[in-house]
Amino acid sequence: MTLLLEMRGIEKRFGGIQALKGVDFDLRAGEAHVLLGENGAGKSTLMNILSGNIGPDSGDIRLLGASMRFSGPAEAHAAGIAMIPQELDLVPGLDIAANLFLGSEQRTGWGTLAHRRMHAAASDLLKKAGVSLDADRPVSSLRMGERQLVAIAKALSADARILIMDEPTAALSATEAEHLFGTVRELCARGVGVIYISHRLEEVPRVADRVTVMRDGRVAGEASADAPQAELVRLLVGRSFEDLFPPRAKTIGRELLRLEHARFDPAIERAGWQAARDVSLTVHEGEIVGLAGLMGVGRTELLSALYGFEVEGRWSGTVLVGGRPTRLGTITAARHAGIAYVTDDRRGTGLVLKHSVGENVVLSTLRRITPWALVAPKKERRYVAEALSRFDVRPKLPEALVVNLSGGNQQKVVFAKELVSEPHLLLLDEPTRGVDVGAKAEIYEQLRDLTAKGLGVLVASSELPELIGLCDRIVVMSRGRTVAEFAAGASEEQIRHASTSGAEAA
Amino acid sequence: MTNETATPSIGVSQADARPKLRPLDYVVRFQSLLGLILVIVGGIAFSPRRHGHILFLQPDNIANIVRSISETGILALGMTFVIIAAGIDLSVGAVLGLSSVLTATLLINAGWGLWTTLPLVLVCATLFGLVQGAISTRLHVQAFIVTLAGLQAARGLALIASGNVFININYGSGPGNAPPAFAILGERLFYNTFPVATLVFLVLAVIATFFLNHTRYGRYVFAVGGNERAARLSGIPVEWIKISVYGITGLCSGVAGIVHAGQFAFGSPTDGTGYELNAIAAVVIGGTDLFGGAGTMVGTIAGAVMLGALANVLQLNDVSAAMQLLATGAIIVAAAALQTFVGRRDVRSR
Repeated sequence: MTLLLEMRGIEKRFGGIQALKGVDFDLRAGEAHVLLGENGAGKSTLMNILSGNIGPDSGDIRLLGASMRFSGPAEAHAAGIAMIPQELDLVPGLDIAANLFLGSEQRTGWGTLAHRRMHAAASDLLKKAGVSLDADRPVSSLRMGERQLVAIAKALSADARILIMDEPTAALSATEAEHLFGTVRELCARGVGVIYISHRLEEVPRVADRVTVMRDGRVAGEASADAPQAELVRLLVGRSFEDLFPPRAKTIGRELLRLEHARFDPAIERAGWQAARDVSLTVHEGEIVGLAGLMGVGRTELLSALYGFEVEGRWSGTVLVGGRPTRLGTITAARHAGIAYVTDDRRGTGLVLKHSVGENVVLSTLRRITPWALVAPKKERRYVAEALSRFDVRPKLPEALVVNLSGGNQQKVVFAKELVSEPHLLLLDEPTRGVDVGAKAEIYEQLRDLTAKGLGVLVASSELPELIGLCDRIVVMSRGRTVAEFAAGASEEQIRHASTSGAEAA
Repeated sequence: MTNETATPSIGVSQADARPKLRPLDYVVRFQSLLGLILVIVGGIAFSPRRHGHILFLQPDNIANIVRSISETGILALGMTFVIIAAGIDLSVGAVLGLSSVLTATLLINAGWGLWTTLPLVLVCATLFGLVQGAISTRLHVQAFIVTLAGLQAARGLALIASGNVFININYGSGPGNAPPAFAILGERLFYNTFPVATLVFLVLAVIATFFLNHTRYGRYVFAVGGNERAARLSGIPVEWIKISVYGITGLCSGVAGIVHAGQFAFGSPTDGTGYELNAIAAVVIGGTDLFGGAGTMVGTIAGAVMLGALANVLQLNDVSAAMQLLATGAIIVAAAALQTFVGRRDVRSR
């Protein structure tokens, strides 16, 4: 296959930080090349250089053998390089056609917008990108996966030969992601070269032909897409996958939570919200219990209903906390029962982004640092220091603004905030989504230490390897029901089988 | 919170070192104070002189400035709470007018004493705010709309309460007269130098600063404005905070209305028109984020003083009222632009 792109010895320095230390990268026509790396490894910098957003300090970029030097994104775009940013640049209030022609609107002889012509052209573009959507649908009515497809169609409208996608599945469900991979493969079959930035190992074999792993501004290694995950992890962080999950001494204590045929009836039925219909499970002190199942089976909803977050309604059936019947369903009740909750959306619900690390850490325990309703600064400092001592949050400044932290560090702040209230039971929803492997390892390690001291954990995750490595027991859900339970040591196939057959049975 | 950096921690790379404040950061941090200093320096430089004296710095003139800002200043204190909680209250000027009318009516027409009138006015004004907050929060109507309606409602109530006339406050004893003690709000203390109205503002400013910075309530207000959902998840009584901040603006409007009635010795249903915009301007110039979650009380106070000083300088130089409005507008835009400019820099330096 023809070599579309060659980057040789790319270097870039920002102030005191050498972001890229001589990176080589190439792309063939009709290939999907995954660029894998943790946050701060240099993936985005490299791609920003390729798409003309920033200039390299040194190094050589060749397109089809010809040396290029872009002075701006427009030049890169004209050369056939299109980048789909993580935050899609679509206008929700406009329809698909208007978005596709945003900035290059066609006009009639009267100077008014040529709606009909643009709609026809938009339909063509969508068809060319393999997207079956009506061009007159407003973008606001599209789901995240569909918006992603529109962004692809938009990028391809300029006859792009190289398509750069920056973590496109970050906001997608599993089925939407699968559909996206199909579209990527179709594009490749037509000769487009796709560079796919990601830090999700699981995606690599599903989308890529080849993978380049970056670490600390260098290429750590290159592998074929079917390379075992363990090898990719070793390239990513320089240690092996098993080491991520430290061995745990099992000291199972008294029962913390027992649900028996529990059912949650929301006060307001919401479309797409799978309420808990028939849930039976237990969590003991010192135990980590996993919630597995396909997307949309009600794992997230179960956790938020247990905590009473942004849902109203009531539980029926048996709900025991610490052996006693307890009315859950409000945040006050949950916190009173010693339950803490880490949502799957740290930016939206976990953190106050424009406040400092310290202010966020004390958010849920303000009562303890404010005797007589007055803030006690000394007490606050001590609290923050203690909470942060568990986690290696970078930068090590309680007054650093959370918005400026990487995803992994933000997640550590969320954990520190929830753990400082010393809960008995911790509810975790996708605790390592969008988190780099280093932070993952740190979070797992903390969970081990805390469960050894008696904390119980109920964790929902769509990453099966994570659940298997982490949990003592795994409960499988399907359509709001618990359908199977596995002890530690179950295989991915067993759990996946229970998830799908449960879905058929239900 | 500096003890963390003092301890030698392992593996702190260069990038983790405490970010040095660049000159522009200082400009922003003390944006309102800087503006205030600029206005004062400009005031001195451009002030008309008479017999070698700088008019701008004459004790009488300074007393005029601080007296003129006392009412909008009081409104701005409450407004700071609301805006930090990511809300807005357009009704404060109208509630000020309503409160001045209520005060005058109760003192003159009803013949009540100060100890019954003033608390009742404050309770009414606070309730008015709380009702607006409750409607906005419970019925999920934007505060802008609710308080815009509240503005109209307060004006209407003021017209009803006053019978659509000025109510002059005469001092003396017997029916139809107010207790002479009330007149103190229009006087000056300390050998006739320091306006009592300004004293009320200063006392409230100290209380408001304390509440915002040193109480649990203040922290809750910041958290709710910064991210309502995260605050709720953390067990903070979000609804109560969102409602109660309008009680604060209501209370402040009540105080300002009483001060207004005392200063001018009448209650007028149409007074206080447009004051809400001056109050919001003072808050914004003071560096408080209109999107909520960030702001300082000191900035608001400086913003209010700055607006007052600016108007005074322009008046001393016989600048027309129209030009005064234009100058005020330009300053508000400059302050807001400075804020967003720095906001963008913050995100980029990630």
